[in-house]
Amino acid sequence: MLGPSTAWYLGVAAFLFGTGALGVLVRRNPLIVLLSLEIMLNGANLALIAFSRHAGNGAGQIFALAVMAVAASEVCVGLGLVVALHRRRLELDVDRLSELRG
Amino acid sequence: MIAGAWLCLAAPLGGTLLITLCGARISRRAAGWLSTISVFVAFAGAVWSFFGLRSHGSDHGSISTAWTWLQAGGFRPGLEILVDPLSVMMMLIVSGVGGLIVLYSIGYMDGDDEERRYFAYISFFVFSMLLLVQGGNLLLLLVGWGLVGLSSYLLIGFWHERPSAVAAAKKAFVMNALGDATMALAFFVLIAHANSLSFATSFATAGHLSSTTVNLVALGLLGGAVAKSAQIPLHTWLPDAMEGPTPVSALIHAATMVTAGVYLIARTHPIFEQARTIELVAAGLGTLTLLVAGLIALVQTDIKRVIAYSTMSQIGYMFLGAGLGAYANGMFHLMTHAFFKALLFMAAGVAIHALSGEQDIRKMRGIGQLMPWTRWAFLAGSLALVGLPPFSGFFSKDSIIAAALHAHWYGVILWVAALIGTFLTGLYTFRLYFIVFPGEPTPFVREHYHAHHGQEGPKTMLVPVGILTVLAVIGGWIQFAPIWTPLTTWLEPVARTLGVAEPTSWQEGLSSALAVALGLGGIAVAYLVYGTGRLAVPRLPALQRALEHKLYFDEAYDAAFYRPAAALATALRRGFEEPVVLAAGTDIGETAFDAGRLVRRLQTGLLRTYVLFLGTGMAVVAIVFLAVR
Repeated sequence: MLGPSTAWYLGVAAFLFGTGALGVLVRRNPLIVLLSLEIMLNGANLALIAFSRHAGNGAGQIFALAVMAVAASEVCVGLGLVVALHRRRLELDVDRLSELRG
Repeated sequence: MIAGAWLCLAAPLGGTLLITLCGARISRRAAGWLSTISVFVAFAGAVWSFFGLRSHGSDHGSISTAWTWLQAGGFRPGLEILVDPLSVMMMLIVSGVGGLIVLYSIGYMDGDDEERRYFAYISFFVFSMLLLVQGGNLLLLLVGWGLVGLSSYLLIGFWHERPSAVAAAKKAFVMNALGDATMALAFFVLIAHANSLSFATSFATAGHLSSTTVNLVALGLLGGAVAKSAQIPLHTWLPDAMEGPTPVSALIHAATMVTAGVYLIARTHPIFEQARTIELVAAGLGTLTLLVAGLIALVQTDIKRVIAYSTMSQIGYMFLGAGLGAYANGMFHLMTHAFFKALLFMAAGVAIHALSGEQDIRKMRGIGQLMPWTRWAFLAGSLALVGLPPFSGFFSKDSIIAAALHAHWYGVILWVAALIGTFLTGLYTFRLYFIVFPGEPTPFVREHYHAHHGQEGPKTMLVPVGILTVLAVIGGWIQFAPIWTPLTTWLEPVARTLGVAEPTSWQEGLSSALAVALGLGGIAVAYLVYGTGRLAVPRLPALQRALEHKLYFDEAYDAAFYRPAAALATALRRGFEEPVVLAAGTDIGETAFDAGRLVRRLQTGLLRTYVLFLGTGMAVVAIVFLAVR
């Protein structure tokens, strides 16, 4: 098999996922939170493709394609929400959007 | 013969269905005629069965099964009818007298708002009663028993805008339901031992049962008979039932339904004979009722209530006869009673109709001068009721009284009581007659009397009254015990008179002579007191008040059953419902509320805490997976 071993790929995937998760947790701008989510999804995709190559079948790649489709639609909804927030002149800060507090 | 019996059963049901389905598409008069025709078709069917049975010999009763009605293990009663001398006799009485009364109703109910409903009900009643007497097993008998109770309820409460009528209907239904329940219990015992409710099997089984069991069964049957026939202690519903239209009183509460108890005893006599004590209890209850009802009838002022009490009293005689074992005599009195009591009710109904619904005898005085025909018809019915020869009551009542002489000391008491009863009968019957009919009409009568096109009533009312007058006079001539007894012979295969209930000639003669003398004595006293006013009514205020309150039976039942039940319900509401059930509801709600208040702290509304929870959860799952592996 050419190239680096699967472990390297997984390392990169874990790094991407961790970066994304950190972004989701610490950033307050919803736009950035959405971007961090995308990074998390791509980290997961990378892991799937790495495993697919490791196992020698295409199942993981199919999963990755499905995840991309989900990600695309999620971004649509998320950006739509951001635009709606902006239109109502609400502050773009997820900590302020706490209407659902019990 | 079987086809005739099925026709007899089906015709009134068909009449009911047609009237119900046609609704307002047929005129009210057409509904009346439809109902009348259906009952007369039933009578034709009964006559057909009678002649069929006669040509085969009366001991050839037969059962015709349409299909197996229901099945539960080995217990499989069929939808079957029985044609034997007893059921054919009842069929003839029910459909014959019933037809005349339905015809009478056409005139009586004319102009009522809901005539069609009335005729649908009354056809349904005739069907139910025929089912009761034709049912080929005890289960179908019970079905008919319940259905007559239902139609009686519907017809008593026919004028449902009157609160008193609705209350009377409910009372009748509840009292009858008590009897239905004891009968059902008796049948459960029979099913447990015989696994069948067919007449033959259950009667055969009754012979092998322990005496306790058979006494219980007989007691249950007696409970049903007592409730349906308005005997003490379940009699209080019958006087109130007079709230119904007068033809209903004539048909259901005099001629047919209330005599069903006598039919039941005659039909199930093999069971009662195994429980002779219970049978004698029936005779005793009948005697008690005939005395008490006769006394109460002396002070009533409503014409229909007086006749209602006399009905109770006469059924008391039938119970006496049937209880002693003289089934044929009881049935014979049932038949003549159906004639003369229906006649009395219908003649009274003609007078009530002509006075636009007035029933108070003090206001009706002198009506006889305006309605001579009604007066003669009522007189014939009264004489038959008192039992003077040659009117029908004479032949049937006296042999019952004579039958009592054989039952030792107990019988002698019953005999004396029954003779006192004949005196009371003469007294209350002719008190009614002398108050209402002779003399100068009161101003009230003059003012309210209105003739029907110059006649005393519509033809549909007068013709049945005429026919029944003839029957009340000659109806008893078919039997003159002990010389001429075709009816007893006819019934012998089904309900053979017990040897202990067969009086000798001299007993018969003595009883007849005394009964007629006492009856005449009652009439004479009534004439002196109410006809001429030569004797004053004795002043006994305490007794009079007790009788006007019907010996406080209603009050006693109210105190013994209604009040404790109502008090118990109130106590349970105060002591259980409000503090326990209702409070528990509040507590459950508040517990849930508290739990919610505790858990809502988890919902911070901050996105990052949700993500943290999610992440922590994932981490825990991952660690558990790794550790378990």
